[in-house]
Amino acid sequence: MVKDTGKTLRADTYRTVNAPQSVEVEEDASGLPLAVKMPAVSNSSVKTPPRRIIKKPMRQVVSGIDERWRIDDEWWRREPVSRLYYSVRLASGHRLVLYKDLVNNCWYRQSY
Amino acid sequence: MRILCVLLPHFPLRCEILRNPGIDARQVIIIYGTGSRKLVLDYSPELTELQRDMPLQQALARYDKAEIVQADMPCYWSTFNRILDGLEEKSPLVEGLELGTAYLGIDGLQLIYPKDENLIKEVIEVLPKTFIPQIGIAEGKFPACLAALHSPPSGHKIFKGDISSFLKELPCDILPLSAKGKSRLHDFGINTLGQLAVFPEGPLQSQFGPEGRRIQELARGNDAMPVYPRLWEEIIEGSTLLPSVTVSLETIILTVESLLSPVFTRLAPAGMGIHTMAMWTRSWNSENWERSIQFKEPVMDMHTAISRIRRIMENFPQPGPIEEVGVRVTRLGYPLGRQKSLFREVRGRDNLMEDIRQLELRQGNTLVFQLKEVEPWSRIPERRYALTPTGL
Repeated sequence: MVKDTGKTLRADTYRTVNAPQSVEVEEDASGLPLAVKMPAVSNSSVKTPPRRIIKKPMRQVVSGIDERWRIDDEWWRREPVSRLYYSVRLASGHRLVLYKDLVNNCWYRQSY
Repeated sequence: MRILCVLLPHFPLRCEILRNPGIDARQVIIIYGTGSRKLVLDYSPELTELQRDMPLQQALARYDKAEIVQADMPCYWSTFNRILDGLEEKSPLVEGLELGTAYLGIDGLQLIYPKDENLIKEVIEVLPKTFIPQIGIAEGKFPACLAALHSPPSGHKIFKGDISSFLKELPCDILPLSAKGKSRLHDFGINTLGQLAVFPEGPLQSQFGPEGRRIQELARGNDAMPVYPRLWEEIIEGSTLLPSVTVSLETIILTVESLLSPVFTRLAPAGMGIHTMAMWTRSWNSENWERSIQFKEPVMDMHTAISRIRRIMENFPQPGPIEEVGVRVTRLGYPLGRQKSLFREVRGRDNLMEDIRQLELRQGNTLVFQLKEVEPWSRIPERRYALTPTGL
């Protein structure tokens, strides 16, 4: 029989799926994304990467914007949601969904 | 129906003599165990006061110098089956339900053996020389058995025509009836077959039911019971001597696994499984343990078979330290199609949940999550789904 550790297992164990990840985005004068600096390690569970192989964020130029939409929600809360989403095409050919949080002016990537 | 009966008196003793000729000159009592009781199975002919199924204490009270030998039933049946195999070459109808007694249906064999003596000679040639057969031929099994009983050792007796005059003086105790039934017959003043044969049918049946009618027919020399030939069956048999005596269940189970493994390998290509098997062990003091194991459905894999064998071995402990283990697969079968249970998935899920819970308790944190819809319609992507612990 496994000994009971006495630890409560079920509290705080909900995890969000598809949580937004912070990214660095270079904007043009009109606020549209020009380039994205992708984090080197995207897996958030890796807390301390080995020192010797730390990579700098990779800069990727946005070659085009395919789509753009805005979400304004939960305006009745203290922290309302206001986002401007961009579905962009990178120079490498990859597609990416970014959004600019209009409340704190930060950029995030998130699958939609 | 003409039937030939072969009686092999003191069959277990003769089997022991086959293995160890030295005991022929000694006084021997062969015993077997039922639960904690030890009963007499067979004995040397000179121990005339003994009877089969007599408790060992009573037997030793009469012959305290006699040598005790544990019965080796697998060996006796193996020897008897070999004899029956040989008899089947003489007649296709051979019944051998009781150790040491065989019945042969001999209707139609007159073309091959014009005289009964020719057939008897052929039958005697099949039997090992150690056995001293008594052979009887008559119409019906019971008269044939009586003929064999009254034949001289290594001789024969043939009943032809009406045998009522022979039967009428015989005691009722020779009837295939329980001891209680025989006692009741004596209580009614019926001591001989002749008395039974002329007894009114009605009162007899009111006291003994259908059995009353049957024993009266037997007393009149009529026996319509047919010969039940042996069913053909493929038997896979194997045994192994352990390197050292053991009482460990795990060691015995491992040995059984090694014995059953080639059986499953052999059956797998044919898509067959084990339906019935027997497992036996022999302890260091030659005591035997045997259990017949029947599976509701043929087992196709080792895991299922072993789990059942383990349960049986736990419920029926070994008589002592084991030195030999054997298995005998007596019936094979194909797996049956079956309808799946509505709740099977639920049980499977319950088992999985329990395993995960145990794992998480051991590790101290949540390891396995399940994806749940929270607000799948939400415009905010991270609100649509969540990972929750499996137990919630």
